[in-house]
Amino acid sequence: MNPDTILSSFKSALGGKVLEDRKIERTVGTKTPRSVYDLWLVVDRDTLHAAVEHLVAEFNPHLSVISGEDIGDGVALNYHFTSGWGEQYGEVTFSIRCVVPKSDLRIPTICDILPGAQTAEREKKEFYGIEVVGIPDDRNLFLPEDMTIHPWRNDLEEETKKSVKRLVKWEERDA
Amino acid sequence: MHNRSINLEIGDGGKNACYTIPIGPTHPALKEPIRFLFDLEGEQIVGVDIKPGFAHRGIEYMGMRRNLIQTLYLSERICGICSISHPLAFTQAVENAAGIEVPPRAQYIRTIIGELERIHSHLLWAGVGAHELGFDTLLHLTWNVREKCMDLLEQLTGNRVDYAIPIFGGVRRDIPAEKAPLAYQALDYYKGLLQQMIDAFLHDKSVEMRTRNIGALTYDDAVNLCAAGPVARAAGVPKDVRQDMPYLAYADMDIKAITPADYDGKEAVGDVFDNIVVRLLEVAQSIEIIEFCLENLPEGEITSIPKVPALLAALKKADGEGIGRHEAPRGEVFHYVRLVEGQDEMAAWKVKAPTYSNLMSWVPKFMGDEVADIPIIAASIDPCMCCMDRVHIVDEKGQHSIRVKEELIQLSRAKTRRMMTR
Repeated sequence: MNPDTILSSFKSALGGKVLEDRKIERTVGTKTPRSVYDLWLVVDRDTLHAAVEHLVAEFNPHLSVISGEDIGDGVALNYHFTSGWGEQYGEVTFSIRCVVPKSDLRIPTICDILPGAQTAEREKKEFYGIEVVGIPDDRNLFLPEDMTIHPWRNDLEEETKKSVKRLVKWEERDA
Repeated sequence: MHNRSINLEIGDGGKNACYTIPIGPTHPALKEPIRFLFDLEGEQIVGVDIKPGFAHRGIEYMGMRRNLIQTLYLSERICGICSISHPLAFTQAVENAAGIEVPPRAQYIRTIIGELERIHSHLLWAGVGAHELGFDTLLHLTWNVREKCMDLLEQLTGNRVDYAIPIFGGVRRDIPAEKAPLAYQALDYYKGLLQQMIDAFLHDKSVEMRTRNIGALTYDDAVNLCAAGPVARAAGVPKDVRQDMPYLAYADMDIKAITPADYDGKEAVGDVFDNIVVRLLEVAQSIEIIEFCLENLPEGEITSIPKVPALLAALKKADGEGIGRHEAPRGEVFHYVRLVEGQDEMAAWKVKAPTYSNLMSWVPKFMGDEVADIPIIAASIDPCMCCMDRVHIVDEKGQHSIRVKEELIQLSRAKTRRMMTR
């Protein structure tokens, strides 16, 4: 998969809604060095669904995972796709980043386009407290079903610590 | 373009189900706990709900509060079987973020240990799979031959698991020339045994009866549910990080993703049988890769920043984000790392293990199959499995009974016997 084809396809499909794009070239191989590419794209929340829709329609991607980062007043989500699998050196990684403000922690689901995204979306919901609008199943996945704290949020760290201490006390072990 | 629509409804919501049986949280086939809730119509599975997380240890949370070298040790303990796969992906992510070079010799050493891990992991899986089918002779055979690989790992690294080989910028231990004969000897041993293993698994009538068309996964489902590793390849999806986006010594080789067509030229079914085919053929592939690495092992340094304080200082200066990927025995391991200048710990760390990707593929694999097939289908996803402690059955009147592991295995074995006498 040619990285420039993907980037230019995105820019023509989404127009000015691509806020930032980067192509990172890495050299691999010790005998005859070759290049592999990581692509990074920044869009805002309202464009995310359209961006993934375009990716799925044109480039048959695999969603590896959605990573997240607490950046203070918001949570940054990176949707890590790979595209072009099936041939040697055919693949590029393609990460779509969008920031969700803490004042309105909502993101549209992409399960309607790529059903395999559900595991990653449920995980972001429970660990960051982000509401995934339209997700087929929004129960906690990795955390206990009745757990309401969000351990990966820096602003809720005290709450997480309290909860851990409570569990330790319950288990009658030293903190 | 393949079909994107997929029915992930859990049966009919259990409306017509006679029984709902929970299996777990103590796991039916894996040594780690997970809970399945099966809707059954008679013996047939019409729905399944999966709840993981009983062993969630918050490793990412811990990793974001430690320095990178401490976190490297932590990453090695994410999984006992994949105890080099996570450090391999993690070191690559950090090296990409910080711009650290890895000497060629270190890249080859990492590859050798990574492939040895694949051999022992696939053999472990094959043995437990045979056990679930009631074929304990084969279990003992595979686990016996697996020991040769574990011994070699111990001779090369000092440990059977948790080898502590990769460090940012290289590896911690060299493979000296005098150790190479040990490796060649082990590889010759496996080459001689491989046909025997293929005969025992793939040319056995009872194995074929119990695994053909059981736990099938279609190509479209594998793609849509973002399946990874042997599970995806068994469904005919030629996806393998070593081929698609080469790294380490794989970039110097011509690696091809193995699908069931490589065995008999037939179309993939994605069933348990195809999972066995892919994993056994991958053992042969790993032997070739290790041989290539030993023959072409470059001379030179094994790490670009040998002193740990200098390495920590370099990492503290780094600023940026990186992705590290490795094709572990069970599929793609993916690490995302974000480093911030002046900070010892990572600003963000996301770990994705292969089972995370394959979790949703379990649903279509279970659908339509029988209770007695649960152990082998659960096992077909993941090679790392141990015991099925108990099954708690609740009927529609709320009466319940406990089925212990032995009873379920007896059910599975009784099915093998029934099929043999037909």
